[in-house]
Amino acid sequence: MVKGMNMKTLKFYTIVLSLAVASCTKDKTDYEAEIDTVVTEYDEFKEAVAIRSEGYDVSIEALNGAFYKGYNEIRLKITNSQTNEKADASAVTFLPIKTDAEGSKFSCPHLYDLVSRPDDSYFSGYSVFTDESSTNGSWELYISFTIAGRTYAVKQNVSVQEQANKNLNMTTFTGKDDEQYFIALVSPQRPKVGENELVAGIYKFNKPINPPSGDFPDLSQFSYTEVSGYTLQLDPRMPEPSMGNHSSPNNKDLTQQGDGLYHGLVNYTMTGNWTLNFIMLNQKGQILKGTVVPDDFTPGVEGVKSELHIDILF
Amino acid sequence: MKKLCITFFVLVLGMNAHAQHTHEQSDSTKRLEEVKITAIAKRKIETELKMAVSVDEFLASSDNISFIKRGAYAWEPLLNNMSTERSTITIDGMHIFGACTDKMDPVTSYVESNNLSAIDITSGQAGSLHGATVAGSIDLKRKSTPFGLEKNWSGAYQTGFEFNNNQFFNLGNLSYSSDRFVADGSMALRKAGNYYDGNNDEVNHSQYNKFNTSLGLAYKTSPLSSVRVDAIYDRAKDVGFPALPMDLWLSRAIITSASYKQLFEDGMWRVWDTKLYFNAVEHYMDDTKRPENLVHMDMPGWSTTYGLVSRANLKRGDYSAEIQLNAYDNLSIAEMTMYPQDRSNKTMFAYSWPWVTTRFAGLSVNNSWDFSAVSRLNFGGSLGWNYNYSKYVEFNRIFHPGTPREKSRLLPGLHASYQLNVHQFDFSVGTGYGHRAPSVSEGYGYYIYNSFDRYDYIGNPDLKNEISYEANASAGFRNERMGIEAKVNYFHIQNYIVGRILSLGSPMNYQSVGVKGYTSLNHARLFNVALNANYDMLQHLHWKGTLTYARATDDKNGNLPFIRPLSYQTSLHFMYGKFGIQTSLNGDFAQENYSPEYGEDPTPAYMVWNISADYTFNFTNFKAVLQVGAENLFNEYYSTYADWGNIPRMGRNMFTSLKINF
Repeated sequence: MVKGMNMKTLKFYTIVLSLAVASCTKDKTDYEAEIDTVVTEYDEFKEAVAIRSEGYDVSIEALNGAFYKGYNEIRLKITNSQTNEKADASAVTFLPIKTDAEGSKFSCPHLYDLVSRPDDSYFSGYSVFTDESSTNGSWELYISFTIAGRTYAVKQNVSVQEQANKNLNMTTFTGKDDEQYFIALVSPQRPKVGENELVAGIYKFNKPINPPSGDFPDLSQFSYTEVSGYTLQLDPRMPEPSMGNHSSPNNKDLTQQGDGLYHGLVNYTMTGNWTLNFIMLNQKGQILKGTVVPDDFTPGVEGVKSELHIDILF
Repeated sequence: MKKLCITFFVLVLGMNAHAQHTHEQSDSTKRLEEVKITAIAKRKIETELKMAVSVDEFLASSDNISFIKRGAYAWEPLLNNMSTERSTITIDGMHIFGACTDKMDPVTSYVESNNLSAIDITSGQAGSLHGATVAGSIDLKRKSTPFGLEKNWSGAYQTGFEFNNNQFFNLGNLSYSSDRFVADGSMALRKAGNYYDGNNDEVNHSQYNKFNTSLGLAYKTSPLSSVRVDAIYDRAKDVGFPALPMDLWLSRAIITSASYKQLFEDGMWRVWDTKLYFNAVEHYMDDTKRPENLVHMDMPGWSTTYGLVSRANLKRGDYSAEIQLNAYDNLSIAEMTMYPQDRSNKTMFAYSWPWVTTRFAGLSVNNSWDFSAVSRLNFGGSLGWNYNYSKYVEFNRIFHPGTPREKSRLLPGLHASYQLNVHQFDFSVGTGYGHRAPSVSEGYGYYIYNSFDRYDYIGNPDLKNEISYEANASAGFRNERMGIEAKVNYFHIQNYIVGRILSLGSPMNYQSVGVKGYTSLNHARLFNVALNANYDMLQHLHWKGTLTYARATDDKNGNLPFIRPLSYQTSLHFMYGKFGIQTSLNGDFAQENYSPEYGEDPTPAYMVWNISADYTFNFTNFKAVLQVGAENLFNEYYSTYADWGNIPRMGRNMFTSLKINF
């Protein structure tokens, strides 16, 4: 009898134990999902716009098949409409133009002379759209190319969408040298906690010396270049008041690499809102924009940002 | 090495009122009983003063244990003035790791005094039987009733009330023993409110609520073998930690094991005992009851351990040995989710333990050879393999770029001691050498907030092994009426792991003032000395006293933190018929060798006087003891060197308890 009772007790306890073992009171955070849901990732080149002109098809591919405010890498393909074969084009140029509500025309940082990539059968370039398309402004692409000695010119309205990924934000500002600059984040699209290679493009608007002349577009009015030899000093911080101006160690300032872009290292210690505080120095090490942010720990106070900064989120 | 034996209580019978069975080193293995090779003292889990003590209070009565206290609950035991990373704390040899990054749940908080039979404390490398250690080992022995007792059923019930913090407790345990089957069960409930300090001020957030139950079932599979399954379930809820900026909402532990024991009648193999175990701990902090908190933060932690411990005892003539294989796999996870003040903003998330796996496998041997009638040589060693794997190593790489995800370490240990007993005198000298691996926090911790020095701590996966060189000695004299013993030990620890201020990085927890990284000091030195004496003044009047002193310095002769100043405990015990009266005095001298670098300030001396009286009576088959007493009788306002945030200790506490055995 005693044994029977004890066997029952044993059974009871086994059940209780297995229940207790199987169930945690609170679920663990799904970390992969935590860092996954926030960002829209652009990982595949798809056709964003197709133009047919005089027997040739021009196809421009961008990540996700759309143009977004900020940095857009583009791939341009030209095929013969009849044969559907790759056309032997050269001197491919690319110019984005924005027309605002008043009819004024602007451009944005872009690569005018696209680079031929014969192995991949496309022409490569980029465009840093400074605004999304809206009632206040629309974007048009001016493209020209030469095939068999003849130059073709096409233009096409495109739609520039709002940047859905805060990690690809951009900023526009005037430096102390009175030049207009653009900084656009290129990578990482999907930051992770820990070390991230931070890539940004820094561009400058080449102020036209003469008023517009000749046929539109007059290239001298819409000239942008990648600046070279600059340094972008980096100080990442969490602006959230409760984080008290929290920062991270072992970051590396951005310097220009062979691809023309600026590469550095940023460490994110946790997920959440981060501000990338920058100070931009020219070749001579002079500050063109940006202020040193305080590094003291100030709980309860929203972090002071550099006058040159980009907010990201992940 | 000499076992600084504080095997407090070896009786398997626990608190039951059976005729006291002494069966240490029983040569007859006909009956399956606990066989103890190194068993010295016998004591119940109660102190001289108080019969209903918590595990913490009981440990505190040992002379090489001190405590870091963050409140009234879950004290962190320091062995030889070294924190829990440096000692192995096990339950019947099973490794368990707390799930709280802030050490709010030492292993000792997951057991209860009524499911333990003894606590084995072994100092230094002699404690390496359960795994690599520096300070020694604390093994909590669970109750296990022997087979075939004359009385089938036995049990005890204990209840009591403590007036200072309105603690009400009920502890019960029941055992059944037959020739082939044994069962042990226990249940305990403790609930306490805030306590009041010596100025009669309430210490907010010092309440606790604990429930603990255990069950053990053993079946004799043959005259010489048995199987046993054990389980402990512990739940603490709404536990305040006045010294921390957060409390405990809930912690639960389930501790299970299944073991097989085989005795041998002939030959040098005596016992072989193998156990498989599993335990899981979950720990959820709660900062919502602290209005001063700017940020709401979730800080859950989980720790899951699987393991194997297999032990064999050998004896031939004057030589005996203990061989133990330890293997375990632990996964420690701790998260921080911070909520922004504007709750519409995104929460912020980081791991404070980024899914850190620790695997350990080690073989330990302890030998003892009685090579003459008066002298004994103890020697042994252990060799362990320690492996760490950090699943989300990106967190660790922020401060330690490029650090590997995995790390293996070899942990050797050696020890030897010589004991001499001449007439009423005994002497011993010993030495030891051993490595330990960094703990999960020291190696892989990430922004773990330490409210003592108010720094966020960052682990370093590339830390070197801590290497301990140790020497110890003791001398004692004993006769029928008195005994006196002096013990000293000295540790020279290479690559001593401490937190040092980092110039890089900024705090994450809003209370903190900076970031500290775990680094290795070139070396540190620790010296402990203890003097124990007892004297029976009359047949029923006994006196006991203990004096301890410790000194510890780093490689620049600066002080290390949490080192106990000169301290004393003295007690008188008088019995008259069924009455007993005890009084004790304990205190610390002023802490002069404090360490401002590690957040310490000087702590003044204090002295606490306690008194209690008890009455034993029988009715029918029951034996009952009624006790009343007072701790800190003069309501002294004090805090000790190891009280976090200098939170004051409990003021005068009247207590009553009743214990019934059958």
